[in-house]
Amino acid sequence: MTVGKALRSLLVIATLLLCVWAFIDVGVRIVNKRAEMYQPGKTVLTILHWGNTEEEEIVKQLVREFEAEHPDIKVKRLHANDYDTKLKTMLAAGTPPDLFYLRYEDVSEYADTDMIVNLTPFIEKDREKNNGYAMTDDFYPILIDAFRFDKEAQLQGQGDLYGIAKDFTTWIMYVNLDLFKQAGVEVPYDGWTWNEYRAAMKKIRALSDSEDVNKQYYGGVLKTWPTVVRNLLWTNGGDYFGGENRNDFTKVTLGEPQAQEMLNLIRAMRMDDDSVYNPTGISQSEDDMFRRGKIGSIGPLGRWMTPQYRKITEFDWDVVPMPYGTQPISDIATVSWAIASGTQHPDEAYTLLKFLCGKKGQTLTSELGLAMPCMPSVANSDAFLSPGQKPANAQLFIDMVDKSHLPQNPRIKKFTTIVDRELQKTLQLDEKTPEEAARDVAVQWQKEYESPLYNKQYSRMPWMQVIIATLILLAAAIAILWWIARKEKLGALDKAQERTGYLFISPWLLGFVLLVLGPMILSFVLAFTKWTAMSPLSGAKFVGFDNFKHIFNYDSDFTQSLWVTAYFTILCVPVTQVAALLVALLMNVSAKGITFFRTAYFVPSVVTGVALVTLWITIFNNDSGMLNHFLNMFLQPLGLEAPDWFGEDAKWYAMPALVIMSLWGVGGGMVIYLAGLKGIPQSLYEAATIDGAGPVKKFFAVTMPMLSPLIFFNLVMGIIGSFQIFTQAYVIRGSSGGTNENLMFYVLNLYDAAFNQHRMGYASALAWILFIIILVMTLLVFRGSKNMVHYEGLKS
Amino acid sequence: MSTLTTQQPDIKPPASNKMPSPTLRNRSLKRQKLFYNIFIYTMLIGGATLLMLPFIWLVSNSLKTDQEISIINQFFPKVIQWENYPKALEKMGFVIENGVPHFPALANTIVITVLCVFGQVISSSLVGYGFARYRFRGRNILFMIMLSTMMLPAQVTMIPVFLLFRSVGWIDSLLPLIIPAWFGTPFFIFMFRQFFSQIPESLLEAARIDGASNLRIYFTIMLPLSAPVVAIVAIYTFMFAWNDFMSPLIYLNSPEMRTLALELNTFNGQYGVQYRELLMAASFLTMLPCIILFFAAQKYFMDNAASSGMKG
Repeated sequence: MTVGKALRSLLVIATLLLCVWAFIDVGVRIVNKRAEMYQPGKTVLTILHWGNTEEEEIVKQLVREFEAEHPDIKVKRLHANDYDTKLKTMLAAGTPPDLFYLRYEDVSEYADTDMIVNLTPFIEKDREKNNGYAMTDDFYPILIDAFRFDKEAQLQGQGDLYGIAKDFTTWIMYVNLDLFKQAGVEVPYDGWTWNEYRAAMKKIRALSDSEDVNKQYYGGVLKTWPTVVRNLLWTNGGDYFGGENRNDFTKVTLGEPQAQEMLNLIRAMRMDDDSVYNPTGISQSEDDMFRRGKIGSIGPLGRWMTPQYRKITEFDWDVVPMPYGTQPISDIATVSWAIASGTQHPDEAYTLLKFLCGKKGQTLTSELGLAMPCMPSVANSDAFLSPGQKPANAQLFIDMVDKSHLPQNPRIKKFTTIVDRELQKTLQLDEKTPEEAARDVAVQWQKEYESPLYNKQYSRMPWMQVIIATLILLAAAIAILWWIARKEKLGALDKAQERTGYLFISPWLLGFVLLVLGPMILSFVLAFTKWTAMSPLSGAKFVGFDNFKHIFNYDSDFTQSLWVTAYFTILCVPVTQVAALLVALLMNVSAKGITFFRTAYFVPSVVTGVALVTLWITIFNNDSGMLNHFLNMFLQPLGLEAPDWFGEDAKWYAMPALVIMSLWGVGGGMVIYLAGLKGIPQSLYEAATIDGAGPVKKFFAVTMPMLSPLIFFNLVMGIIGSFQIFTQAYVIRGSSGGTNENLMFYVLNLYDAAFNQHRMGYASALAWILFIIILVMTLLVFRGSKNMVHYEGLKS
Repeated sequence: MSTLTTQQPDIKPPASNKMPSPTLRNRSLKRQKLFYNIFIYTMLIGGATLLMLPFIWLVSNSLKTDQEISIINQFFPKVIQWENYPKALEKMGFVIENGVPHFPALANTIVITVLCVFGQVISSSLVGYGFARYRFRGRNILFMIMLSTMMLPAQVTMIPVFLLFRSVGWIDSLLPLIIPAWFGTPFFIFMFRQFFSQIPESLLEAARIDGASNLRIYFTIMLPLSAPVVAIVAIYTFMFAWNDFMSPLIYLNSPEMRTLALELNTFNGQYGVQYRELLMAASFLTMLPCIILFFAAQKYFMDNAASSGMKG
């Protein structure tokens, strides 16, 4: 007992000390930051970028050197992993970072909406100053073209310049030289055709030991990201879109013979030969498999894998070209620094941009190995080729530049989602033939494309009128409420009470007005607009009911998300509630050590959020996870196999998997029921015993009615909660293939609309529909429960 | 053998004692009791084992090597890799500079959590008290409105709220994560209201006759009385603030402002999860304070608290 007490006081002291330290630490940091930011006479530039720790270090170093060179400029560096969310919110708030990373795919959108500065005049000015020379002359021409956009022709690759590439990569394959040697396959340094690739993959696959699960070798990994598949189609003369420049976005050409041939070949290697690793759902990651020497060749990938692979000590590796059918061809992945049009200091921003993209930065990136420098002079130096370091064939990256090509992408981002999902179904899950997939992509895409949202011209939102109308409506609502409230009569003494009462509830009232009512009204108004969140609110367009029309008529994800959410709710709410009640009954017995068990059952429910999901992802892993391992121990003797929860069997098993995850937190509901059980007077049970009731009868005649208010309350909260489920689905979807429609929860669809496709108005409309659904559901539950809930025991 | 006292009424000996032979009856009763005990303990132990397995899995994985973690059919590490923990801490931003430890993510999370808990308890109890104990016009309407806001998906208000906080210049500060708690949360207000409604009026009358002001009554009588609800609200708020992911993601920009949940998410980086064993270690470290808190406060939690707040 004394030990426990000592421990407890030790814990309290430690906690207090920790708190004191935390407050001092944060306080000092805030003071320092203030001092740092308010330096008179200094221009402050904000830059936003992503990247791992090493990349962050490079940008940090560049910024430090830039600040030393330009003492009058202070650079505030922001780093984000969820980059798009971050950038969108900053843009929406009207405080864009002065400089930020901009992907090749996003240039047209940002340039067309004037979100980024046209750099051509700056370049021209440089030329005048430097006898016709500008820094961009030192770049690979294709990288300059990548960030050009022609507003007239709506074509990327020509016209004015909107960003300067910071680095890039061509696409190649990484190969495990040891496996190639063991299988007796010649390393295809000079390129290989798809037939040669297929033969080589089979040979390497044959090295496996069929007895040992830990000695399985696969010939290759072929990435199935939409951009990569597109590149693979190119090698066989196909593409996603038709037209002269492959930019007729009305015409999807996945069904053409060249494309079909390629898709069929990939399928054959993944499914018939089983020589290309085909993971589904959550399983061993392809990259892990390669790093552990289980994969002959992995790709198409870019330069960015090199630093990771340099840590490999178990085998020798190198890079070779991508296989080809008709011609060797490579996509280019590149990111630029762009200047936001909202910047207060365009000239300083341009100076910084030149520094960040300059030779110094290019050299540092090259030395790190993460990417290729944009200047041939640096690329052909030791900084990039780094003799003595792997890959020995680094020259290949440079050679591929001549064989590279820039794709044209439609502005409606939904295409990537559609194509990704359908390709997954045919290339990984074997649910469809490539022909069916091609047809389905075309149908879905056409539906999306034809929506009035993309084709009608809308006028600007009349904000003045909206604000006035809102104010009038608000005033009317308050007047009505006041009038109703007036009818209640209060005595003279109660006047004072009334004032105090309002004073007491004022914190909530204030919060309600500021954080709920106001935002609700705004989001309601937004539901009738088209707003990308990349411009300030004044740029929103009024679309009437078109958002809702699109939701009900053109958005296939909406119905899917309703189905997924309903399936989850119907499964999860009853199961978890029954489980919680049963566990509570079990915990209500007075056995020795029951407090210990109560604790053990409750502790898991303390774990929530990202930590919870990351843990369960590893448990559900098909290959190395604990759950399927145990399940198979029981199922395999019966000739059955554990489900591929989030892969092939996701349609029916993804939700049960999430329910299992929720069941782990059964303790949360258990505590509430336990408390309820303890509140039931013993006298009721005694009376029932005298009446001759058995345990079952007692449960239904006494326990259930007495608990009914709690059950009802939990039911309502459970329904509300399961309609808003997000984190689980978001994190799991991320690790099981990106576009899994079986995890398309309502809120996930909403999040996608808001932060992946930048359709804030549309997302607001979705949010309001969700609100109404929840409202109706709750009212129905209230109605239906009227006769089933007994309140007598709890009158207070 | 009396590990089980007779709370289950069904195995209680009947009040009327009309059995033929007491010894025989006792023996059968004992056997019945034994079976009952075995059944209960099997259930208890089985369930507890199942629920503890994920924790064991987490800890065991956090102590494996990078190679081991993907080996199929291996549950425990061959050699325990303690250094995974310092490595994970380092990846989450823990540094020692000139002998002084710096861990911004932890400091930020602690500050946010402490202030949230404090604000939540004060505001929610104040409002709950107001709703429970004062008659004012519009009370019922307002209370219904408050309850119905529980149904409002956070996504509806997310973007406008962001615009609001930006307009007061709070982006990249901890304030947007703290201030909402100071306005109270409907669910907790509801719990406090239910609790305060049950307190007998006579107690208040006595205080009023003594001339205590409203706030004084609240602070000296009401708040101490509601300790069990305070505990529950504090614990739930702690767990929510500690693990919150979405708000920090939206409001915080600078690396030194990140919270632990954000740092945890940086493991799922651009190039996929590379250090799964470190991620497991970091996950464990992140959830540890919640678990410790629970053990420290379980007395409140398990026995009296839930009932008093949840009734109604």
